[in-house]
Amino acid sequence: MKQIALYGKGGIGKSTTSANLSAALSLAGYNILQIGCDPKRDSTRMLMAGRLIPTVMDQVRERGATGVTPADVVYTGFNGVRCVEAGGPEPGVGCAGRGIIATFQLLEKFGTLTGDVIVYDVLGDVVCGGFAMPMREGYAQEVYLVTSGELMSLYAANNICKAIERLSARPKSRCRLAGVICNAKNQPKEEELVAEFAHRVNSHLVQFIPRDRVVQLAELNRKTVIEYEPASAQAQRYRDLATRIMENTRMTIPTPLEIDELEALAIEFM
Amino acid sequence: MNLRPLPSNLCRSAGCTLTGALSVTTHVCDAITVVHGPQGCTHHNFSLLHATSLDNDRVSLPPLVSTGLSETDVIFGGEGALDRTLDEVIARDPGAIFVLSTCIADTIGDDVGMVCGTKAGIPVIVVPTAGFLGGSFQTGVNNALIALAGMAGPVEGNGRVNIIGEKNLEYEVDENFAEVSRLLALLGLSVNIRFVRDLATDRIASLAAARLNVLRDPSLIPVGEFLQERFGTPYIPAYPVGLSGTVGFLESVAGACGIDCHRAVREERALRQETLDDFADLAGAGISLSPLPPDPEGSRAAQDLVQALGLEVRSSGRPVPVPVTPPIGITGVRRLLHRWRRALHA
Repeated sequence: MKQIALYGKGGIGKSTTSANLSAALSLAGYNILQIGCDPKRDSTRMLMAGRLIPTVMDQVRERGATGVTPADVVYTGFNGVRCVEAGGPEPGVGCAGRGIIATFQLLEKFGTLTGDVIVYDVLGDVVCGGFAMPMREGYAQEVYLVTSGELMSLYAANNICKAIERLSARPKSRCRLAGVICNAKNQPKEEELVAEFAHRVNSHLVQFIPRDRVVQLAELNRKTVIEYEPASAQAQRYRDLATRIMENTRMTIPTPLEIDELEALAIEFM
Repeated sequence: MNLRPLPSNLCRSAGCTLTGALSVTTHVCDAITVVHGPQGCTHHNFSLLHATSLDNDRVSLPPLVSTGLSETDVIFGGEGALDRTLDEVIARDPGAIFVLSTCIADTIGDDVGMVCGTKAGIPVIVVPTAGFLGGSFQTGVNNALIALAGMAGPVEGNGRVNIIGEKNLEYEVDENFAEVSRLLALLGLSVNIRFVRDLATDRIASLAAARLNVLRDPSLIPVGEFLQERFGTPYIPAYPVGLSGTVGFLESVAGACGIDCHRAVREERALRQETLDDFADLAGAGISLSPLPPDPEGSRAAQDLVQALGLEVRSSGRPVPVPVTPPIGITGVRRLLHRWRRALHA
């Protein structure tokens, strides 16, 4: 079983990328579980025909932890992809990080964490220990950074490198950086910039995904690009991403950059 | 962000803010204290308060209620649990409710003050007590006393004296109180309220009636300052320590109250001499102090006694006990000297 996690700045396209990746992998014949690890809970929406599925934390809130069953939290979407949303507290109260930890413990207890590939789609920044959970305890061993060529997006990706570096130093840790996915904003020289960033943090660019209107059209139709326009060039990019991820063996401990190095890099490719 | 540095040597003496506050609020006899946190914070403190009172020959079941925070409350926020618990406690109609926070409640950022502010009819007083914010046991004591003082308002003076911040968890609390009462009586003064020991909620209102506050020890000075600023009541910073403390104490109290203390001081000096005469048989005995006094004040009190009685401290001397807190007043010294005599004749 392959367990991968997608991390990156909020709004960069993690959920879109994750959902299309899961869809492509499932069409390639793999048994897929996608877990949204963000209180915003919209990771799996395009796999579920636009439906916001009940979250694990919703169920816990309503029924209590002992009253929840696997059927309450696992929903089958496009082409048999199993979907889970961790959910979390209402904005502004409680501790969302602890919610992620509790979700993982429940899923573990249910025996849900099975299949050929588990895709963890994790919120913007690793703001506390709870959001590092997918990288710990041997869950996701391969972390993919999703970033554009914008400085703030690279900055967030670089911060996640710091988390991976820290966690990978722990005994028995199997968490590694598996690669960088460029979800482009269509800036000039964006692919070169992100490839160079990946190289500098001791990793590699796995896939360049250009900005394409078909993504928005698919979303308005509540579908992944894979489902909505399978013949499009964009769908082929997601299938290429799926193939490369399945073939990828290059797992590294990242070497995060200092902020001025990062800035210099961005200026170099302006 | 909390900018207080953590005290050094934390585990030995600084303790938990929550426990300090509980040592105060559980002595408001008709009130209930709600501890907003996991059950363990309450259980642990209940056991400690109960066991300590047993050691002092009192059987008490501290009136504590836990909000019993669970993992679910941590994830979704614990304000609901606090709200429910407060309603249950209000239904029991206590004189007041004190709400003490814990590390976990402050970590997840529950707005304890907001929840308490929605309750009416019974005073609901918030005491901030999250231990990890760098406060010590004493911070908890002081926070609780200051929060409770908020229940008092300006009242007509009665010329009496408050005792502030008795250490409810130490030995000899009531003996020390009796000694201070004796000294006050020498000056014709009487005690208004013991703030806080075995105090009814409705008595807190008379806090401001006193002409003087006597603090248990200088760590309560922030409380003394607060009361002085709020009600204009002057304070004496500490109980009298050791053989030499009582005369100075009489003079300070008399000075603060503007009364003549010549006769009281004369009587006190006579009592001091009488005490030394009573233990004159110890003169010349070789002793060693065991354990060494934990603070300079205790050390000074022991050295004073050694000198006044003509004892000799040497490493081969017979070990005599030194209490953790220094003896209060002449009667405290007498109790200590009885123990020394027993040790020397053992």
